Amino acid sequence: MIHISNIFLALILLSVLLSLRSNRLMALVKLMAFQGIIVSAVPLVLDTAHGLTFNLIMFFLLLILVKGLVIPGMMSIAVNKVVASREIEPIIGYHASLFAGLIMIIFSVYITNHLNLASLPASHKLLLVTGITTMGAGLILLMARRKAITQVIGYLMMENGIYLIGTALAKEVHTQYVVEFAVLLDLLVAVLVMGIVLNDINHTFDDVDTALLGQLKD
Amino acid sequence: MLQLVFYIPLIVGIAVFFLPAKAGRLALFSTAVIHAVFTALEWFKISGPLHTKYFSNSPEGMLVLGILSFLFLFISLYTVFYMDEVEMSKEPVFNGSMLLFLAAMSMVAIADHIIMLWVAVEATTLMSAPLIFVHRSKESLEATWKYVLICSVGIALALLGCFFVIFSMEMSNVHVPITFSSLTTVASQLDPIWLKAGFIFIVIGFGTKMGLAPMHTWLPDAHSEAPSPASALLSGALLNCAFLAVYRCHQLMYAAGLGEYSSNVLIAFGLASMLVSAVFILNQTDYKRMLAYSSIENMGIIAVGIGIGGLAAFGAMLHMIHHSLVKSSLFLSAGNILLGYGTKAIDKTGGMLRLIPKTGVTFFAGFAGISGFPPFGLFVSELLIILGAIKAGRYVAIGIFIFSLILIFAGASKLVMKMVFSEKENDDVLVPEKWTRALPPIILLLTSLALVIWLPDSIYQTIQNAISSIGGTVNG
Repeated sequence: MIHISNIFLALILLSVLLSLRSNRLMALVKLMAFQGIIVSAVPLVLDTAHGLTFNLIMFFLLLILVKGLVIPGMMSIAVNKVVASREIEPIIGYHASLFAGLIMIIFSVYITNHLNLASLPASHKLLLVTGITTMGAGLILLMARRKAITQVIGYLMMENGIYLIGTALAKEVHTQYVVEFAVLLDLLVAVLVMGIVLNDINHTFDDVDTALLGQLKD
Repeated sequence: MLQLVFYIPLIVGIAVFFLPAKAGRLALFSTAVIHAVFTALEWFKISGPLHTKYFSNSPEGMLVLGILSFLFLFISLYTVFYMDEVEMSKEPVFNGSMLLFLAAMSMVAIADHIIMLWVAVEATTLMSAPLIFVHRSKESLEATWKYVLICSVGIALALLGCFFVIFSMEMSNVHVPITFSSLTTVASQLDPIWLKAGFIFIVIGFGTKMGLAPMHTWLPDAHSEAPSPASALLSGALLNCAFLAVYRCHQLMYAAGLGEYSSNVLIAFGLASMLVSAVFILNQTDYKRMLAYSSIENMGIIAVGIGIGGLAAFGAMLHMIHHSLVKSSLFLSAGNILLGYGTKAIDKTGGMLRLIPKTGVTFFAGFAGISGFPPFGLFVSELLIILGAIKAGRYVAIGIFIFSLILIFAGASKLVMKMVFSEKENDDVLVPEKWTRALPPIILLLTSLALVIWLPDSIYQTIQNAISSIGGTVNG
């Protein structure tokens, strides 16, 4: 039987691979919105999910709203202000990044199998694989791209990955709304602050290429 | 109640964004006074935490909170007069962010829940980012971008570490609240492998914020580009908060019987930081960057001291107090120098004793203090760390420790001598000195001196309580 959570995990992996291949900033933002919605919905469809209270559902709706709508909305405003909306010369090419992403999947399957995780249900192991891959791909995006916007998207992807790993490992966290809400608020403010700095970088340098940021050295 | 120390600055800080600049300055200073009062109430146990689910008044947290509140009082006083001299287009943003930054740091100091601590540390990054790019120059934009991105990614790794720690609890079927105070009571039952993995991620994550090498790259840029009051706060208070986060996890490791492992990790990172700052301080051309590298060095010293434990742990805690006082005094003096000469380049300064004598004296005295000369407190704390290391038989570590101290002293003294004593061709001083801006750094230095002569019993007791959980003693 194919469980619905497996479909969700496959969709997340697909969005990860697509984002490693994509060179248009707007397409990246749309992919992030899609990924944000799926990632926030994963805890709801896990077979270990039980006792869906009203509060829980409201919280996940909020999560989907923030990760799928508010944050991508802010990012697309930033993209619209940028003149060059393509990544011209990535530090690591698209094919190489895609290949690295595929290797990342194999690597995360390998480590998940070699961890002593007897107490975890099988579906959580797949979740862990997806989480590690998403986090790793986020790090690749962060390091391999020059545009500041792509770096923010890399950070968000990494955060999504860590959220998935947290869902797989630490079930206890998802029962404490205050804490989760605070983490979400932090993420939102982080994107807001990064957006403001991005905007200023765009104003000052007429581009968001981080290669232009090289004044401070020792 | 305990939580007021971050609720009050949070609310006032948001209000200040909408107030005119002059009113904002008044609000800044009066909030600092109120914060100090509430911290004193907590310190003397007159009031306690309201809900103990997320917050608690641990001794090490109280120590950090005390330092923070004391520093903020004088830094805000300095800021009020500093603002008279500088053109700042968005002053309400600066003042408001200072208060929000204070709120976030106070939250770190009192957080007990492991994820709440993470939330608070991440909040310090976000609230201090506007302080760095307030001038909106190309350099400050670059510094802010590096700061926000490197620290956010680092702290995201710390969140992963927190999840591992929580998982180590679920692996062994222990169910307690995820707070440090309850986790330490069941520490011996936690799964050691996941705890170790969690600790590594937490040290890398919060160590990024603390400025431990090789994750320190944001620190010199941010400290040199921020306006001087903000640099003083970053160096004197923020680094302590990040250290507190690492320290609390170290306590957990010690309670779980993995103290030796976490100690070695801390010593390795500490020594690496000291060596890196020793290498980079030698050819500095910018005096604020020089001070920033010295902060990396001192955070390294604290990590080494805590790692060695015993008497050295006491030394490390003393070092944290005195470093905060002396370093923020130095950054405030650097602000006066920047106002006087209009440049951060060491080559373009000179003759400070003749041109700006008050600042010249405080800067030189601060330098003597930070290099560990008696009668300043860093002499005592470094001596205690060295003695503790010899007792513990860590000869290699202490060899590298002393070697880096000598290198840093040699490198920095050359630069400071040039600034204070060398001759300058033209005698122009852009903004003349005033007592109002010279006094806060003097008071901070004198406090460091006073604490060497007489360490109040309550501080002594608090340090002892804080280090007893990692086996640190004064008599050991």
